[in-house]
Amino acid sequence: MNERIEAFPALAAELKPQCAAIVAQYEDPRSALLPMMHLFQAREGFVSPEAMRFAAEFLDLSPAVVESTVSFYTLFFRRPVGKYVLQVCRGLSCSISGAQAIHKIFRDRLGIGHLQTTDDGLFSYEEVECLAACDKPTCMQVNLDFVYSLTPEAIDGMIAAMRGGTYATAPMAQTETPGKTWKVEQGGEVATGRKSKGARDVSAPDNPGGLGDKAGVIMLDRIVDRDFAFRGRTDERVVLERPAQIKELVSEDASH
Amino acid sequence: MAAVVTPVLTAGIGEADLRDIGVYRKRGGYAQWERAVRELKPADVLEACDKSGLRGRGGAGFPTGRKWSFLPKTDAPRYLVCNCDEAEPGTFKDHMLLEETPHLVLEGMLLGAYGIGSHHAFIYIRGEFKTGYDIFMAALADARGAGLVGKDLFGTGYDLEVTVHRGAGAYICGEETALLNSLEGKRGEPRLKPPFPAVEGLYRMPTVVNNVETLAYLVPILEKGPEWFASVGTEKSKGYKIVSVSGHVEKPGNYEIALGTTVNEIVEIAGGMRDGRKLVAVQPGGGSSACIFEEHFDAPYDYESIAKAGSMLGSGAFVAFDETTDFVAAAHNMVRFFAHESCGQCTPCREGGHWLETVLARFVEGRGLMSDLEMMKRVSSTITGLNLCALGDSIEPFLKSVLVRFPAQFEARVLRDPFETPTGVRSSGSSG
Repeated sequence: MNERIEAFPALAAELKPQCAAIVAQYEDPRSALLPMMHLFQAREGFVSPEAMRFAAEFLDLSPAVVESTVSFYTLFFRRPVGKYVLQVCRGLSCSISGAQAIHKIFRDRLGIGHLQTTDDGLFSYEEVECLAACDKPTCMQVNLDFVYSLTPEAIDGMIAAMRGGTYATAPMAQTETPGKTWKVEQGGEVATGRKSKGARDVSAPDNPGGLGDKAGVIMLDRIVDRDFAFRGRTDERVVLERPAQIKELVSEDASH
Repeated sequence: MAAVVTPVLTAGIGEADLRDIGVYRKRGGYAQWERAVRELKPADVLEACDKSGLRGRGGAGFPTGRKWSFLPKTDAPRYLVCNCDEAEPGTFKDHMLLEETPHLVLEGMLLGAYGIGSHHAFIYIRGEFKTGYDIFMAALADARGAGLVGKDLFGTGYDLEVTVHRGAGAYICGEETALLNSLEGKRGEPRLKPPFPAVEGLYRMPTVVNNVETLAYLVPILEKGPEWFASVGTEKSKGYKIVSVSGHVEKPGNYEIALGTTVNEIVEIAGGMRDGRKLVAVQPGGGSSACIFEEHFDAPYDYESIAKAGSMLGSGAFVAFDETTDFVAAAHNMVRFFAHESCGQCTPCREGGHWLETVLARFVEGRGLMSDLEMMKRVSSTITGLNLCALGDSIEPFLKSVLVRFPAQFEARVLRDPFETPTGVRSSGSSG
């Protein structure tokens, strides 16, 4: 058993009065769920299974309901994260003002990508949606503290200060070693950070042409095209796919 | 109308520390609150709100007084919820109001709650606004200490409690019924309407959800009278509006203007275009709005004129684009946003957004199909209007507007190599 889990009962006992005070602010105790999860995340660095179980018992909800709710919100980390969570804006206003170059600098300097944590557990990096500071692009948050008008020099200074332990914003609590990502995706798939994944990665969407791919072309046909209004595009695809098909036919012939 | 900025809500920001309750009160702060509780009936506040012609500043632009009037005339408990879940791409006015003038936000909430006869008001603050949350909590504590919030206010026997609720990262929680679900400790998924929140909202009780800016305007409306507010603006768009100007302008920022100021004048107020470049498109009302172009740059910036130009005023997020803009990348960016934030309840939004994003991602890499262009223009009819909330309907307007206006930019990204598939895998010569 790890130290965090051992320490959890004491933490829960300590926070219980605060949880009760939160519940008292609302007409329905369930409203306290988000504030309680914020409270536990501030102490443990992430929303642990123990915290969710505690909330379920405290608010008389099923653990599944609690986890389902927590999983909806991107600011709740269900796995441990780095001490500095760097959330850089990728909204339209920042993007047309050079956000992509800023993203590249972060990725290069940290050696990680979107939704990943460095091996030393110091940094977690995420490119997030509009942060409502579009007048000072590119903006970001460090553990939810805003940083505006990023420049390459400012980024270098920031990362050096964080490594040296002199950065102004306090590091997140870290009670467990983080993994490669904090996102929990079903079926071991690549993390997208989305609320709802859609059927993006269906490997063989049912389609009459038998030319299913992962690009979404056929699926859109099926959504859009009730009366073969886009027959042309299917032809276009047949042309595109033909070399592979011919190759398959040829290899089939060869095996006989 | 001249291109002028008229600070009303933004008055004093940058000059005085309005977070300090003493400073705020010295400038006349909470005077309207005290006057309302002591001298006015809730119906008087409602009447002032109605007469002023104030319309919702969060996006939909619905007349605030009418929204309040939908509440049932019973003694049942009712709630006021202030929507501070500002996340519409390009909007940053509530963020500023919350951090710079939290007492004005609070006073507006108190007046709104009094106007609808509520004894419990909530403010839902976007999870990312941790700093704003801390500032507002401090302001609320000061106001409570000064006897402005709580029981038996000013000795009149009127009680009003305020609860601050922090979100945790979800654009959709700005939609009022999703916000209520989130406030109830649930997933932030929009509800089926009707019943509207005015009939069955928070805890299934009558509820009014108003934007921060909307509620804040109640303070000057009560101070200077509804006639003052209604005297400004255009026929159906009264008063002032904070416009969040960003993009390729010289001085991006929040500018408070009279509604009806023209699009060109707003660009001028924001210092003109950066590096003397040319303005080619404006997204006038946040990520959900279609772009407007040259032929409408002299249009007045008000609800009707912008709607007539084929877009919407929305939350007042004004993004200016110059001729160097890559509209393919911009469209992909916008669609990706909605795909990312779709709650997943409704199939057209969940699937439509994801597939459109996938197709646009191919265009960004120069691997689009010619037929995709036509398809993307038509796909809206299978996404828009078929969802519980407006998020699904927001996917297409920006994309369609730039696709129709700048077809050459999209055509230039169409796949040229006949031996390459849209997925990027070369068919010929691959190992199979």
